[in-house]
Amino acid sequence: MTRFDRQSFLGSGSEARLDEATIGLVGLGGGGSHMARQFAHIGIGGYVAADPDAIEDTNTNRLVGGTLRDAAAARAKTKIARRMIRGLQPHARIVTVCDTWQHATEQLKTCDIIMGAVDGFAEREQLERFARRYLIPYIDIGMDVHDLGKDGFLISGQIIVSTPGSLCLRCCGLITDERLKEEAGKYGAAGSRPQVVWPNGVLASTAVGLAVQLLTPWHPHPPAFTFLEYDGNSGTVSVSAHVEALKGRICPHHPPDETGDPFFDIRKHLEGIEQRPASLWRRALRAAKAWFDGIFGSRSTQTV
Amino acid sequence: MKIGFKIAAALLATVRIDLRRPHPCAHERVGFISAGLSAVGDDVLILARSYRPVLDQDYLRDPSVGAMMGPEALRKALQWAMQTGAALFHVHTHGGRGLPDFSSVDLRGARRCRSKRWRRESTAARHTFIERFTQVGAPIVTWRAA
Repeated sequence: MTRFDRQSFLGSGSEARLDEATIGLVGLGGGGSHMARQFAHIGIGGYVAADPDAIEDTNTNRLVGGTLRDAAAARAKTKIARRMIRGLQPHARIVTVCDTWQHATEQLKTCDIIMGAVDGFAEREQLERFARRYLIPYIDIGMDVHDLGKDGFLISGQIIVSTPGSLCLRCCGLITDERLKEEAGKYGAAGSRPQVVWPNGVLASTAVGLAVQLLTPWHPHPPAFTFLEYDGNSGTVSVSAHVEALKGRICPHHPPDETGDPFFDIRKHLEGIEQRPASLWRRALRAAKAWFDGIFGSRSTQTV
Repeated sequence: MKIGFKIAAALLATVRIDLRRPHPCAHERVGFISAGLSAVGDDVLILARSYRPVLDQDYLRDPSVGAMMGPEALRKALQWAMQTGAALFHVHTHGGRGLPDFSSVDLRGARRCRSKRWRRESTAARHTFIERFTQVGAPIVTWRAA
């Protein structure tokens, strides 16, 4: 018996597959902390978690794993996530970056999936563009509370799965130039937005389910693109009406020729490796290889 | 240095379908995948961009191998790489699944190309074995070197 026996329906080899996988978690607040905990529950082995903030009193209404003591100590959200993951996955490969995700790009580019739980449209667009550049599926969640005046409040949200080659956040209409412009105009004066724990939970749980679909064979035909909308007032998650309208469309926003580092030069990369002073054991290995090659002849086919 | 190769599932399907098409004289088809590269520490990540088949008329008749590219095929491929700044990978298939590898003919061809001139002009061109091959789609499928 292992602690994963109850999820064996995910498919043969799924436990190893989940353990091998590395998930990028960008934003460890209300949504991201939920996802971190759930990924640890299902046995994800690798994490790259980035968030620049420390927990505050006002976060404790929704940040899963955070305690009042953490808030009093102004503990970094990355530390809370690490502690929470370690509690379930003691041997997990965890990289935490207590800074903006732009300081974690080297680690994020090695991820199998990136989960975005960030505020703001510009942030989302940059993160999705980064994920596309490195051919990484990006799953975005977001929620908002709208004041409807005398009709009260509306809680809404969305979950979008954006895989390379499929439709993106712009295709869905989530990112628009108008929204980016409006957001840029509010820079520094956005104030704190209303957030509560249960919509974050619904969105995070759904997103984790979609990520597991991408990683394990339990679902016979997982979609490469998903756009789900959450209506917190009626308590429903449903496929967005945009999906039908977007059928057959090809994403024009992320051309495939954008993959890779823009100025990468393999010659410089190889030179850098070769010119680096080798460690003692590596030098010994090279000397042994030269001696071996001198006696038996070198192995062929290294340079074309 | 370890090499990882990532390709979108739709692009990989396109490549596989194209390479299965019969050719008027060759036994198999060949094509080129363009890619961007990225450093991950000392390792390199190859990120596929697009695919172009070798045109029918750019094959040479050579019964000793499954397919032989003519000089025009190579010229077009090099021009494509230079114009776009992309890395290029020559691909063909004998069927099967899993981690791509070189056939004995590939390796023989590589030895033939080891002229000083080629080495001087293309110091980066090497036969390097892929350690990890990932098909990015739904689901994500990864093959690793044993």
